[in-house]
Amino acid sequence: MSGVQPASIIELSDVTKVHESGDLLVAALGGVSFAVREGEFVAIMGASGSGKTTLLGILGLLDRPTSGSYRLVDTEVATLDETRRARIRGERIGFVFQAYNLIPRATAFKNVELPLVYSRVPARERRTRVLEALGEVGLSDRVGHVPTQLSGGQQQRVAIARALVVRPSVLLADEPTGNLDSRSADDVLSILERVNAQGATIVMVTHSNEVAAHASRIVRLADGLVEADEALERSPLALEVAR
Amino acid sequence: MTVLVESWRIALGALRANWFRAVLTTLGVVIGVASLVSVRAVSAGAQQEVADSIRRLGANVVVVDGEFITAGTRQSATDRTITPEDVAAIGNLPTVTAVAPNQEMESLTISAGRFTATTLLFGVTPTYHDIYNQTAGAGRLITESDVSFGRPVIVLGLVQRRKLFPCQNPIGKTVRVGTHLLEVVGIQARKGQFGDENLDFRSFTPLPIVTGVLLGGNNVKSVGVRVRSEAEIEPTMDEIGTLLRRQHNLPESSADDFTIEDQAALVKEAQRASKTFRVLTFALGGIALLVGGIGIMNMMLVSVHERIREIGIRKSVGADPWTVQLQFLLEALLLSMLGGIAGVLAGIGATRLTGSLAGWHVLISVPSILVAFSVSLGVGLVFGYYPARRAARLDPIAALRYE
Repeated sequence: MSGVQPASIIELSDVTKVHESGDLLVAALGGVSFAVREGEFVAIMGASGSGKTTLLGILGLLDRPTSGSYRLVDTEVATLDETRRARIRGERIGFVFQAYNLIPRATAFKNVELPLVYSRVPARERRTRVLEALGEVGLSDRVGHVPTQLSGGQQQRVAIARALVVRPSVLLADEPTGNLDSRSADDVLSILERVNAQGATIVMVTHSNEVAAHASRIVRLADGLVEADEALERSPLALEVAR
Repeated sequence: MTVLVESWRIALGALRANWFRAVLTTLGVVIGVASLVSVRAVSAGAQQEVADSIRRLGANVVVVDGEFITAGTRQSATDRTITPEDVAAIGNLPTVTAVAPNQEMESLTISAGRFTATTLLFGVTPTYHDIYNQTAGAGRLITESDVSFGRPVIVLGLVQRRKLFPCQNPIGKTVRVGTHLLEVVGIQARKGQFGDENLDFRSFTPLPIVTGVLLGGNNVKSVGVRVRSEAEIEPTMDEIGTLLRRQHNLPESSADDFTIEDQAALVKEAQRASKTFRVLTFALGGIALLVGGIGIMNMMLVSVHERIREIGIRKSVGADPWTVQLQFLLEALLLSMLGGIAGVLAGIGATRLTGSLAGWHVLISVPSILVAFSVSLGVGLVFGYYPARRAARLDPIAALRYE
């Protein structure tokens, strides 16, 4: 570790989330605090029901915490209105979902272009950035294909390109390899490792130790609380040196 | 701008993907807009026709018709009850500005050389031309001196001009009526159709020619009376009635031997009756639009529901509520716009068809089309708002998890 600490991208303090289902109140998160620094690759692990997906929803501003503070790049975002949250989602956050979540009728190009459209990037710049992002995930030859013409692994790579195209502050991945065969999963993980090595901050939810081993740090959740927070042996810097 | 263009593209794509459903949905709007356009056209046509009629009937003109003179059980074939003295007395009423006595002969045969034609011949004074807004298309009309000297002249209608003088200038030529010869001095300018009657079928000659020469006698069938103002028409009609009863020495017990009619009032009355019908059709058009609007709302709700997940995805990559709302509002607007265009076309078609089938005078105006089209857009906006709002308010995380 060098002497200079990289800045915190994410700072959660005492975040709780209570779901209402009918008359029942279910506490999904019971006071979670941790920080993610620039360049980290954090895996969030836990049994199902441990609150890890809820946590990712809050990190991605798709969901609001019931209480607590969430600072994303030095901005308190827990209390912002929906329009500002949408803008931050579009500009600072890239999502990769287990189910890819591509728009069915749209081509790979259109899907990747979408976040740039919503952040009002001019058309010409959009085009170069989309092609660049698709190139980065090795899909330069699939630009005009719609999702049904692509394999699962290819669809997930389109999703990664869509997440990366806005140059987000943090890439959030929810079981990104959950629907993939092992070869495609390896492809996806090596892409994530590579962009992490190039400096991207990644927070990934997974239940698999094997997948989590690609991360630089593992946060374990149990019953809505942080149970363990451990750094792994490989740091992004070390990985780069190794290469 | 970027977002607007993209939203248009998305809306177009969504409609294209479900084009048949979209066509069915817009049917209500099509029918509504079509009926607005055609009702407006029929109504404007009718209004114009009434205006034309009133112009032809003369402004503030009432018509006094004399009945045939009867003696016991015998009725004269030609002689009417209105005498020149009656005409003069009516002309002296303070509210009357002009009187035009006239006598007519129906189905009269006139000839010129080998050509013959029938006409409705009017014996008139220049006042007649004046109050009924007649003008000469060629030559001149009947003048004061024609009347006072009893000159044997005639002004032909376009129909007789065509039949009697197919290939020569008729002015100065002679036509024959029975054993009498009349010199053609003018052609009446085109008047067109009035109700069932072709006004260009009428010919005109000085009043004394008809009353004195062709028929005999001095009485006239009819007097056109111009009243000073519209408000004075009814009291003047009453006054004329009293006057004529006194002139004709009619006892209390006997009925009038004349009729007094405000023909413009009759036209306006008929107009009011057809107005009720038009209001009804208009209301039906409104109901069709309402139903059309509900149809659009229904389709948009289905469309939003089908794309809940897609909305979640869009929100996750940065679409704010307003952008989502805009996208669905544009889709509804596009639907209603297509309905509006189709409705305008259908309306024009339907108007032309009924116009030619029913023989109605119709008038399709650009403003009425624009109004109908804007109404259809309004329907799209109003009924698209709620579904679009619903899409905009979807919770992103719930939308993403929606199966």
